[in-house]
Formats: sequence, structure tokens, C-alpha cells
Amino acid sequence: MSDHPDWVYAAALCALPLQTPARVRTLMRAGTPAQVFAAIRCRKGNVDGIDSELLLVWRRHADTDLGDLQDRYTHAGVRVITERDVDYPWPLRGDPAAPAVVFVKGSLEVLDRRRVAIIGTRRASNGGRHFARELGAALAERDVCVVSGLARGIDGEGHRGALSVHRFPHHALGVVASGLDVVYPPEHADLWHAVAARGLLLSETPLGSRPEAHRFPMRNRILAALSEVVVVVESAATGGSMSTVREAERRGVDVMAVPGRPGVRTSEGTNALLRDGCAPVTSVDDVLVALGLDTRKSRPQCDVRPAPVGVEQCVVAALTNQPGTIDSLSLATALSVVDIALALGRLETVGWVAQSGAWWELLPSVHSG
Amino acid sequence: MFAAINSAVLLGAQGHCVTVEAHIGMGIPGFTVVGLPDEACRESRDRVRAALLSSDFPWPNRRVTINLAGASVRKGGASLDLAIAIALLVAQEEVAASVVGELAFLAELGLDGSLRSTPGTAPLVASVSGKSVVVAAACAHEALIASPVNVFGENTLRDVVACLRGQQQWSPATTANCGEQVETVPDLADVCGQPWARRALEVAAAGHHNLFLIGPPGAGKSMLARRLPGLLPRLGPNEAFEVAMVHSAASQAGNMRTASDVPPFRAPHHSASLAAIIGGGTTAMRPGEVSLASHGVLFLDELGEFPPSVLDALRQPLEDGVVHVARARHSVTMPARFLLVAATNPCPCANSAPGACICSHADIRRYQRRFSGPFLDRFDLRVAVEAPSPSTLVDTVRGESTIQVAARVERARSIAISRQGHANAQLSVDELDVHAHLSSSARLVLMGELEASRLTGRGYHRVRRVARTLADLDAHDDELTEDHVREALLMRVALRNPLHA
Repeated sequence: MSDHPDWVYAAALCALPLQTPARVRTLMRAGTPAQVFAAIRCRKGNVDGIDSELLLVWRRHADTDLGDLQDRYTHAGVRVITERDVDYPWPLRGDPAAPAVVFVKGSLEVLDRRRVAIIGTRRASNGGRHFARELGAALAERDVCVVSGLARGIDGEGHRGALSVHRFPHHALGVVASGLDVVYPPEHADLWHAVAARGLLLSETPLGSRPEAHRFPMRNRILAALSEVVVVVESAATGGSMSTVREAERRGVDVMAVPGRPGVRTSEGTNALLRDGCAPVTSVDDVLVALGLDTRKSRPQCDVRPAPVGVEQCVVAALTNQPGTIDSLSLATALSVVDIALALGRLETVGWVAQSGAWWELLPSVHSG
Repeated sequence: MFAAINSAVLLGAQGHCVTVEAHIGMGIPGFTVVGLPDEACRESRDRVRAALLSSDFPWPNRRVTINLAGASVRKGGASLDLAIAIALLVAQEEVAASVVGELAFLAELGLDGSLRSTPGTAPLVASVSGKSVVVAAACAHEALIASPVNVFGENTLRDVVACLRGQQQWSPATTANCGEQVETVPDLADVCGQPWARRALEVAAAGHHNLFLIGPPGAGKSMLARRLPGLLPRLGPNEAFEVAMVHSAASQAGNMRTASDVPPFRAPHHSASLAAIIGGGTTAMRPGEVSLASHGVLFLDELGEFPPSVLDALRQPLEDGVVHVARARHSVTMPARFLLVAATNPCPCANSAPGACICSHADIRRYQRRFSGPFLDRFDLRVAVEAPSPSTLVDTVRGESTIQVAARVERARSIAISRQGHANAQLSVDELDVHAHLSSSARLVLMGELEASRLTGRGYHRVRRVARTLADLDAHDDELTEDHVREALLMRVALRNPLHA
């Protein structure tokens, strides 16, 4: 019976139907994984804290081929770590709702870096995306690990920014809700692989788990527990980011928010956080100060985009406080639509503005001053 | 006992000559119509009988056979009624056979013997050229489009017979009593603000570029589109003739677009069927909206609501300028050189301001999947519009009027015509290399866009065509500058930035 390493039994236990993090914890505390697995398989077996009807259900499903299972994990390069292992992610030890088993792919060294989560809405504005990407890159430049859920929108952009920097190894940590072989969202496949190759992917669900809706809030608690600072770039008043924020507050993790324009859906959540006393993030320095890594003096940084002149300067000025259309900019600056359009085209090429439909937004800089 | 009379039936936008032969012979009294008549054609027996009797003409109580020759073409509609009646009268020797040889008869009969107008009078008259034509007085003005002489408009069967017997003079057709409505195109000056969208309209008209308007409800997409025919160059005589022919063929009798030089504007609802848009559907192969919009504007509002089959069927006429409709028995080719203007909301919730959209990723994907890529590729101009700000709406300053903009369009179009003989939208890739040289800075801009994969190969050619039109509007016949290319690029917005990150 005990011809497999312990982690294979742990993985098999996690893959049982109707499994929850709390039940996994109960199982892990009832004995070694091999013992518990044997008890479930045995006709007369009994496991402390587990309902007898549930045991019956599990017994019917406990016919997994463990050899196969072991091959699958080895082949996928995924490690199974239980809280009994020395390699168990140290930030999770002592966490009130720590997962008893985690599945990881990549290098555990990222956990020794400073860790900042960049999170936010999936339906982000161009400005928000740009800020998240720049912030991710700026943090990676300073050997800070970026943590996110690899979701669409802000999460993914933060990681794209971090991975665009090759200065230090291991500065990406992705905490995902599905099994490590179920890429979600599918268009982030490249991001998943890059994070696994140059950082760490972590999940509490076994291989093959679907990205079901209820897994995301549970994922958020691990994300919060693994971060030192959580930066919310854009968020609606309710949403997944807010659940991460609550989890972070429960664990005493600093939450910071990027101020947005009032009245815009994607700023409602962040502005509410700021009103409630969160520290604002207007540049990467604010995050570094929160981490105690003030590098303002050691590393001069400035906007690399060429300063706009002439018509472009007028257009940038008119876009400073709110997005605009070509028509509204023409009205505000008293210039012809053709002049405005040409200026916007040039500004877009050098990365000052971005277009969404008829609207143009100014892309903010993460560098203060 | 035998007579042959000239008439015509409609097929697509063209008339086809038909000889109506009547034979009255011995046998059990009866009446047969042969030669592939459709239902309306077969019913003409009852109309003709009633019309003859109520006009005090005899009805042959013998064996009557009507043959519609050539026998292999299917005949539809009621345009043969008068010819059948005259054939019966000639066969009974009420009218001399010698007087009808050089005449053609095209009208529907009422039971009281009155002549009614028939759809497609203009193409029908055109098809019997060389003969004098007798039509209903109500549609004589339509007949005049096709043939200005030798058209007679009469009111009753009795009048026609009196003329044939020489008891009365033919009344030549006039345009006097047709109640022509003068077509009015709304003025561009009615549009408040929207300078960028106006610019797009001007470019579309000048280069004959298909235009895709993306914007929330209330942005004025339909309002803008309706003003486009006024900006297009006026129709030449040949184009006006073709338009009038197609409209005549498709019109309900008497409800006819006059032969005006204003480009037509057609805005079919999205519930329209494939046959209604492309053509066909009846025995007469009625022209569809693409043909009715020929030399004018076809406006498809709420593009996403049109069935994909309809949109994909538009691709061929968009390329060829004609539409081929083939059915089991016959196929017709109808003109379809139209300017396509389409409008859509940016997404289901239509909150277009940045960050205001509440649609889920899947909703947007589903919405955008309705427009197939190859179809979207047919639009040179993709322009996002927004509702004008309240201050613009109450502002009393009016924008330029249609006349001012149309003058610039006319000038740009004539530059293009004198250079390559057609509008810029029809420039082939070879012609682009000859007529749309890029300056070195313009080349750099396009290279950058191609390398950043914001532009596809096909998009590259489309941008060059639009840039050529922008240069023509500036009366700049030299190589394309960076500014022309940049502006052309801005008139190609993405439907919505894909939520990929």
C-alpha cells in the first residue's frame, strides 16, 4: 500500500469529490496522507471529523490509480506540498485559513523576495492597464516579486509588466483558482507558462480542477496571505478585488489603492478604499516606501516618453482630467478635428494616449515628478 | 382566327419580349393559357373576359388557346393582360391585324375595362424598343424614361380599340399628370457638432469608401448616414437611367421614384430576408435592396442584428458591383454598385465611455462574433461616434451645409476620376503602387503599425486608399504625406479594444 510517496496520497485526497479546503485540512490532521487514504478505502474505516455519508461517497471514488496520478504530476512538473513539508510556503504558516495542501510549479525562491500584489478589475480602462503594467515593470526592476491572480485586465497586465524586465530572476508569483494544467483565462496561456518558468504558479486545487466561480474568492485569501502589500489599481465598488482586500485586511496585509476619477465605474472601489483610509499609490515610490525600500535617491527615474509640444501639449492638457473624443477635444482647444486627430495619432505612437472606441485616454506615468 | 401581339414581361431589372399568340378554333368552349404562365398570368383570363364584356366587345364562345412565346421563359405578373385582350379582338376580327404589328401593349386590365399601371414599366418599354408602346396613362411618365417617343398612354380598353380602329387619335404620353414628388435629401447642417463624423462622411463620399459607424444609441449614426446621398456626386444620365430602371422594376405600380439625379438611399430593416436584400424571390426576380441602392447608399443600421447569411451574401456584390441571382429556371444579373454604410453599438450595454462598460468578456465576444472578419474587412472607414455634448446641442452655430461639403467632394472625386478613371475605393493594389506613393515619413509610420501588428496586410492597402482620398480632398496630387496616412489610420478604429490582457 505505501509504495507511493506521501504527496501522491495527498493529491488523491484533494481530488476527491465534494472536497473543500476545510475537509482537506481535517484529513491532513487525521494522520499521514497514506493512512487516511487507506482508511477511506477500507470498508470499515473511519476518519475523525468526517461525516459517514461523505465517507461512503468517497469510498466509491477512492479507486484512483495512484501510479497514474504520480506520473501525471511528475509529467506536468507540479509539486504537491502539504503543511507537514519543510518546503511549505512559509508566509502561509500560521495563517488562519491556510490551505493544507498546495500545488506549485516553478521556483519557491520567489517567496524569499519582497512581494507586492497588483490586483484589480478584469474590465479595466486603458489607463488602468497601462498603470498596472508600468507598476509591475517598475517593481520588477527593483527585485520586488509581483503577485496576482493572472486574471484578465489589471492582474494580467501587472504580470506582463513584471515579466518584461529581465534584470532579476524569479519575480512573478501567480495564485490561480483552477488546477495548474487548466489555463484560465485561455488567452493567458503564454503568461502562465512564463510565470511558471520565471517565478512560481501556486494553486490549492489538484490538476484538472475547473475554474469554477466559487474557487476565486478562496484563491483570493491565499493571494492576500502571500503578499506583503496589496495594490488595487482599478476596481468597481463590488467585485473580486474587494474580496481580496477584505482578506488582506483580516491578515494585517497593507492595502494600497490607485486614485481614480470620481464617477467612473472602475474607480469606485479604489476611491472608496482611499476614503476609508488606505494609502494612495500615485507612483512606484509609494509602494516602495510601504515596503521600506525607498530608492528615490539611489535611482533617478523619469518619464521616458518625449514631452509633448505645440498642439500635442494642448491635447495632453485637455485630456489630463478626463478622457475625451476628437470632437470634444476640438471644442475644448478650438483646433480643427484634423489637427487634433493628427496630434492624437502622434501621441499614440509614443505611448502618451490610448484609444477605446471614440474615446481617448491619457496614459499615466508611474514615476513621480 | 389567329393573332400575334407584342408585349413583354419583367425578369430582374430587365424586360423580355413576349409574343402573345391567340388561336380561336372549333371545340368545346374553353380557355387555356400555355407558355409557362405563373398564377397572376393565368388569372388574366378572368380579368380579360370581364374587361371585354364590360367594354361591349364579344367573348369567343369557342376553344381559345393563348400561347406566351418563347415558351421556355417563365412569365409572371399582369403586364400581359392588355396584349391578351387585343389578341382576342384581332383573332375575332374586331380589330384589323395590320394595325397591331408595329405596336406593343403593356398594361393590366381592370374588370371594368380600365388600364392599370404595371410594375417595371420602364424596363418593359425599353425591351420592346423600335415599336410604339401602349401603356396605362397612369404610368406613362415611367415609360417615357425608357423611350421618349412613341409611347401612348390610354385610360380604357375601349379607348385603345377606338384608336386601333382609327376612330380616335392616340394620346401621346406626358409627364404632366404623374404627381412627381421632388426628392429631398436632409441637409448636413442639421447635424449638431460631430465634426469628426462629418469629416468621415466627406471622406466616404469623396473616395466612395464603405463606412462603418460605431457608437452608442443617440450618437446620430442614422442621422449622419441619411445625409450621405446629398454629399455624393450627382448621378450622370446613364446612372440615373439605370437607377430609374431598377426602381421601376421593383416598384409597386404607380409608386415610382422619379428619374432624379439624387443618389438613392435605402435602409432595409434587419428583419429583411436574403431575397429582399439580394434580389429574386418572385417569378419576376424582383431587384433587392442592393440593386435599389445602386449608385447610392445602402444603410444597414444595427448591423449585428442582420442574419450572418445576409451579411456574407453582401460580400460578392461589394466586390463586383453587380449581383448575380441564379434560380433553377433562370439567372439574372442586376446592378449593385452601392456605398455601404453600417452602424452598430460598441457592445450590448452601449456604455462607451472608458471604464463604464458593464458587459462581461463573454458578452462582448459574442456580440463581436456577429461581424465576420472578412465582412468587416470591406469597410475602408471604421469611425467611432459619440453623442454630442449638451453644450453643442443647444449651441446655435450650425455646421457646414451639404452644398459646401458636396462641392469639396465633387472636386476630390474629379481629381480621382481624371487620374485613374474611377473612385479611390476601387483602386487595385497595382494602381495603388502607381497612384499612392508614400513619402518616407509616411512609410515609416505604416511600417511601425505593421510591425506592432496593429495593421494587417489588407488594412495596409485600405489605409493607403483612404490616405489617397484625404490627399485628393487637400487637392494634393503628389505622394501621400505622413499627415494623410496618420489621419487615415485614425479612421480605422478597432470595434473595441479586445480585453485580452
